[in-house]
Amino acid sequence: MTSKNHPTHPNRRTFLGLAGAATGLAAAGMRAGWAENRPSVAAADIVGNVHETDVLVIGGGMAGLFAAVKAHDAGARVLLVSKGRLGSSGLTPFAKGFFVFDPKTEKGSIDDFVAGVSRSALGTNNPVYTRQLAEHSLARAKELSDWGFFDQTLCHRPFLKPIAERGIPRLERVMITDLIRQDGRIAGAAGFSLDGDGAVLTLRARAVILCTGAGGFKPNGFPVCDLTHDGSVMAYRIGARVTGKEWNDGHVTRSTHPAACYDAWGDMFDRVPGTNGVEIHHDLGVDVNYVAYKTGNPLPGGPPGMVEDSAIEGGPVTPAEFRRAPGGPPPGADNDRPPPPPGGPEGKGPGRMGVPMGGASAGMAIHKSEGLVPIDDRGTSTVPGLFAAGDALGSHMAGGIYTQIGSSLAGSAVQGAISGEAAAEYARGVDLAQLPEARLAEIRSDILAPLTRSAGYGPAWVTQTLQGVMIPNFVLYIKKESMMRAALAYVEELRDHHIPMLRAADLHELRLAHETANMILTAEMKLRASLMRTESRCSHYRLDYPEIDDRNWRAWINIFQGQDGTMQLEKQPFDSWPAFG
Amino acid sequence: MTIKSIHGCIGCGECVQACPCDVIRLDPDTGKAVIAYPADCQICHLCRMYCPVDAIEMSPEKSIPVIVAWG
Amino acid sequence: MQVSFKSITIAAGLGLLVLMPLGLYFVADVPRRSLLKEALSLLTIVSFVAVIAQLFLARSDRAVNLLFKAPTVQRIHRIVGYGAIAVLALHPFLIVLPRYFEAGVRPLDALVTMLTTFESLGVVLGLIAWGLMMLLGVMALFRMRLIRRFGLRYRGWRAVHGGLAAVFLITALWHAMALGRHTGLMLGGFLIALAATGLGLLARLYLLERPRPQPNVQGAST
Ligand SMILES: Cc1cc2nc3c(=O)[nH]c(=O)nc-3n(C[C@H](O)[C@H](O)[C@H](O)COP(=O)(O)OP(=O)(O)OC[C@H]3O[C@@H](n4cnc5c(N)ncnc54)[C@H](O)[C@@H]3O)c2cc1C
Ligand code: SF4
Ligand code: SF4
Repeated sequence: MTSKNHPTHPNRRTFLGLAGAATGLAAAGMRAGWAENRPSVAAADIVGNVHETDVLVIGGGMAGLFAAVKAHDAGARVLLVSKGRLGSSGLTPFAKGFFVFDPKTEKGSIDDFVAGVSRSALGTNNPVYTRQLAEHSLARAKELSDWGFFDQTLCHRPFLKPIAERGIPRLERVMITDLIRQDGRIAGAAGFSLDGDGAVLTLRARAVILCTGAGGFKPNGFPVCDLTHDGSVMAYRIGARVTGKEWNDGHVTRSTHPAACYDAWGDMFDRVPGTNGVEIHHDLGVDVNYVAYKTGNPLPGGPPGMVEDSAIEGGPVTPAEFRRAPGGPPPGADNDRPPPPPGGPEGKGPGRMGVPMGGASAGMAIHKSEGLVPIDDRGTSTVPGLFAAGDALGSHMAGGIYTQIGSSLAGSAVQGAISGEAAAEYARGVDLAQLPEARLAEIRSDILAPLTRSAGYGPAWVTQTLQGVMIPNFVLYIKKESMMRAALAYVEELRDHHIPMLRAADLHELRLAHETANMILTAEMKLRASLMRTESRCSHYRLDYPEIDDRNWRAWINIFQGQDGTMQLEKQPFDSWPAFG
Repeated sequence: MTIKSIHGCIGCGECVQACPCDVIRLDPDTGKAVIAYPADCQICHLCRMYCPVDAIEMSPEKSIPVIVAWG
Repeated sequence: MQVSFKSITIAAGLGLLVLMPLGLYFVADVPRRSLLKEALSLLTIVSFVAVIAQLFLARSDRAVNLLFKAPTVQRIHRIVGYGAIAVLALHPFLIVLPRYFEAGVRPLDALVTMLTTFESLGVVLGLIAWGLMMLLGVMALFRMRLIRRFGLRYRGWRAVHGGLAAVFLITALWHAMALGRHTGLMLGGFLIALAATGLGLLARLYLLERPRPQPNVQGAST
């Protein structure tokens, strides 16, 4: 299947073709898929704990940090809960470039900046959020600087500083699995602790801010394997609207050790964060994927921003203004270094990591493009009391393509702060919602169900099956109707038959089981949104609809659960807010 | 093998906390870090960088098959 | 005759106390790291061996005392002692030192984490051993004054010093076995054997002590 030492092929053991991926994976080094499930923890013995707060912040990345700090400073009692540790989970630990719009040093105005982003984004950005980013970035950078964020590689300690100073309680290594809605508004969240003998946690709150980041299909070559769009999926299940699922993040990895994120990013992960000013591009869409689709590996040398000028015809369109000059830094096709980070400074690579290989961040869209649909400029979702910020909010701040460098990190900071204040304000006006015991018991039994199944499907196997279906270039990136329908059939099978039979032998696997379920639902969203968008624009490319269709598609796609439980999609015109709230 | 080995661990638990993917656990008997779920390691090196005594050795190779978009 | 005995003893001593641990270090199944880190590890290991070796550079080791003049032995005991103590006193800092030159947790933060991991028996033992070692060193520095101040006779001083040294060594060894990166079966076993022999000599000196060692002990046990 692979020839050893051939630079265009992944290493021995590290690659499996689609056919193998969909069938014979269980044998390849994971827990035997056929063994009886003998959990090491007894579901019945797991204790239940209840916490109460005004504002519950879910997620300990850049957005969660600011949401917690600002909600506290606005007078609310805050509880910060995270699947991992503060500043050491999600994408935040790996981002090093922080965009700052400093009126003193910028030549152009904020209006110019917003207009530039909109031009590059082909209208897909929400200019209200783009402007907000520029207006607040300097203040957030100043605070981060005071906390020592720009002084060291790792951000747990700098993040801990303001949290500890304010005495904001943290619950870490707690996976939230459910948002709880009662009488039409948010009542809190529930989840379980990964540590010790486990614990089911019910977190009652007046307001909840989702700072759960983005997600992916646990892909190889991008450090997003701890995120599975949990926030969006939980919110979807209680009636919130979700957007941006058709966009793609086009990061590539390397053929040598494709899964080695650290190595593929050169010295990026080692760096101390810094700031940067206005620099707008049209980067990291699916240009490389298109070239790879047309020519196969190894990719021709030209910068992917310039595919139109090269021998390969067609493909995603980059607006003329944002095409890279020949000889300029290519975003992603330089064989010897990783692509520049989404909106971050460019890395100097370690060299000789092999040729680019796609799907590094499979299942993740452009930061800020996918997530909860906001009904205003404060991260308010369509569910009263539920807010979102950062990568969990579908603010379309940058649009359906990477535009401003460093804006992802800064955007999470800015949006986190604003949503923190908004949530604190909301929380002042409402009481804690009552939670019926029966509902809590039901949630508990749902959470622990995989531990109680003596037989079923291992989450690792289901995940790899999903990866085999979704990650191929010709499904997720270079799209066409027939392939997406085929993939959807697989995904529906996983959804209907496998999610209900996911099993778990311990708390770690319980987490995987819930993540797997969330990935499957996300896959369905991605396929349906991509099927619906019958045009190509920014990072969404359809082979069967390769043109930009401004007549029909100056619109975002919102996804929500219909009355009958099925997935519904609707258009929301660019430059508009949802028609209800 | 992803995260590969741990030598000289003092059992502080930093790596357990720092790992986004819940790969490492403290062995309740020895009090030391063990690589409990290597298949889920994303090779991000956070554990290594947070370890106060630099006990963790990494390898760039994943322990399970890797699925990418093309090959 | 005497001279060659001496040089054989010195060579054997160096072989046992320097080459042997180095060899065991290199065959240990532990990943190699940067030059700086390896050098610091080696320095620490050799220093710890040197501290154990103090038991053989003392009155308790009759063979050495037969071959060499007492003041020479004492001088070497002092030099090796103060030198090794200095390295071992610094070794918690040496562990975090490389972080100055690479990305990751900052050295001071790492040190604080390390020194406050009280759940770890190995760390607690290390802290105790470190304290005992400093006490040993300081007492040795001021031994004359101590002897005068407390009206100790030489033998009394020696009992305090040796007793403290034994407690320190056992704690330190336990600490090293519990936490050491390289103290696996081989290096660990060697350290235990060495310390056990040395402590045995010390015990013999204290418990089965005779006024003067007999001049005609057979051969050099080292
Ligand atoms: C390698 C890399 C380089 C990057 N470089 C840059 C750059 O240079 N500049 C830039 O601007 N951006 C960059 N980015 C993007 C940037 O990191 C992100 O956009 C930003 O950090 C997102 O922050 P966030 O707080 O919204 O989400 P995250 O940082 O992803 O945080 C999500 C949090 O939610 C928690 N969570 C998720 N699900 C659950 C659950 N179910 N229960 C409990 N907790 C949960 C997670 O544990 C985590 O704490 C980069 C990203 C990567 C991966
Ligand atoms: S490299 Fe990253 S994912 Fe792997 S064990 Fe370390 S912290 Fe966890
Ligand atoms: S961080 Fe290092 S010393 Fe602490 S538990 Fe993990 S491996 Fe052990």
